[in-house]
Amino acid sequence: MSALAISQGPALSRQLARLPGWAVLSVWTAAVLLPLYILVVSCFKTTAEIYDNRLGLPQSFAFDNFVSAWTRANLGQNFVNSLIVTGGAVILTIVVSAMAAYPLSRYKLGWNAIMLGLFLSGIMLPIRLASVELFTLMRNLGLLDSLTGLILVYSAIRIPFAVFIFANFMRVLPSELDEAARMDGAGEARILFQIILPMVKPAVSIVAIFTAIAVWNDFFFPLIFIFDDRYKTVPLAISVFVGQFRTDWGLVFASLAISMAPILIMYCLLARQIREGVGAGGGMK
Amino acid sequence: MTTLRRRSSLRSTQQRMAVLFILPALAVYALFVLYPLAMSLWGSFFIWKGLRMVEFAGLSNFSRLFVFPSGARLYGALWHNTAWFFGIMVFQNGIGLLFAWLLFLRDKGAAFFQSVFFFPAMLSPVIVGALWRLLLAPGGVIEWALNGLGLHQGSLTVLGNSHIALATLIAVDAWNWMGLPVLIYTAGLRQISGQIFEAAKLDGAGSARMLFSVALPLLMPALGTLTTLSFINTFNQFDIVYVMQGVQGNPSYSTDTLVTYFYRLAFGAEGAVGITDIGLALALGTMLFLILGTGTLMMLRFFDRRTVQL
Repeated sequence: MSALAISQGPALSRQLARLPGWAVLSVWTAAVLLPLYILVVSCFKTTAEIYDNRLGLPQSFAFDNFVSAWTRANLGQNFVNSLIVTGGAVILTIVVSAMAAYPLSRYKLGWNAIMLGLFLSGIMLPIRLASVELFTLMRNLGLLDSLTGLILVYSAIRIPFAVFIFANFMRVLPSELDEAARMDGAGEARILFQIILPMVKPAVSIVAIFTAIAVWNDFFFPLIFIFDDRYKTVPLAISVFVGQFRTDWGLVFASLAISMAPILIMYCLLARQIREGVGAGGGMK
Repeated sequence: MTTLRRRSSLRSTQQRMAVLFILPALAVYALFVLYPLAMSLWGSFFIWKGLRMVEFAGLSNFSRLFVFPSGARLYGALWHNTAWFFGIMVFQNGIGLLFAWLLFLRDKGAAFFQSVFFFPAMLSPVIVGALWRLLLAPGGVIEWALNGLGLHQGSLTVLGNSHIALATLIAVDAWNWMGLPVLIYTAGLRQISGQIFEAAKLDGAGSARMLFSVALPLLMPALGTLTTLSFINTFNQFDIVYVMQGVQGNPSYSTDTLVTYFYRLAFGAEGAVGITDIGLALALGTMLFLILGTGTLMMLRFFDRRTVQL
């Protein structure tokens, strides 16, 4: 892979020289995996068992903790709320950002650069600092304690990054694409959604992945805007559990595992895309 | 003539279509990001009663921010955020460089290690904070392990100790995000031409020389991205503190950050005095906005100038 690796001396001494490096990498691997291993095995243990048997496998793989987290602690409702908010924000962000990026990257408007700059400035804006005014606005619009309100706020925050990505991908498509379609009498909406958007699928997946992660994980805005238990999202619920069920460790571990599950599944399916996306531009946050 | 007219009619249709297409994104973005942010900056120059702007106050909110009783909180939080930033630069972005270099030198296993190292970054800081709070709790598994190894005796109270609580949170944050520098550095290293390393090796450079004298200068764009991201993230730090130490930044404000302080001023502290001070909160917000804005611009310029073109 790297040029350094190819042209080295005798194989054995090379491997020996690399041992300290492997050791360093293994230590951090253990530092990452051990806490996660403890999390997973503790999910199946009662609190007493967690104290008795710290690192071993549980006596039985009983799902009691998951059941009580899902029903008694009502994490099921929070989970559904998080899914709705994440799905809604991803779809809304993709649709409106692709619509905005299309003319900004492919028309000669004379004001493309200014408008694009206005959107891009939002990538860096510390929106948390606007939370007081945002709270007043949401209250006046009747969007407190509402999943719709969260979807709108998250989309607004993610639009700058999405427009940036879509514009970059759309700009390099050949102009014959839309010109030919226009000659055939296709409308602009059709050109965008049936011709351009399918050509920039990598952009769609980058935007979808990173919007989904950011929204699923966010804690700050539900903390400010959601008071009713029926509308709490998973991270907000978890922050309450940690204090509330302080003595029921098995339940807290199980709820942490449940909240990680969708991210873990996504990560296993998309690890390569995520690694490349992050490596290319640090597209997170 | 006709083509000209067609072209100009296409132009005006395009102008109309463009406005129509941009409007939804612009409306959502302007209403929920630009407008509240502008109003927050503007509002920091006013006296507030509850959530109502009363009268223009000039810079009085700002001067109140720096004196008793706010001053101690402000300087404390400012120091904690600064320490957090440098802690992350050393323990996350420094050690991350070592990991990335080790992975770059190996032809096998890089993808596996990268995936493992990056996994915690996929998790919500709330989940990470809650997990480590359980692991580090008195009676938790880390206390048990340290006692068993004879490295520590009795109850482990790192999170209750004001001298090491902040360092512990920084370590948890570094654990959370270690994968980010590893991925960004390895992507940067792969872009460097192999011939450069070949030449350095022919000149007899060892692995350490190669990293610091050859690779690092060429990694300036990656280092710039990481420094800027770490700066923005640490000065927005809230979730880990809230989940592990509460919104007061316990014990005795030793892990308080600018955003937890902002949150208490804006939305009231739970449990203790539930009093909000919107004027002060907005002034703090404006100050933080200026710190983030100037800091980010300075860093981008700094690293831009040090980028080596080959």
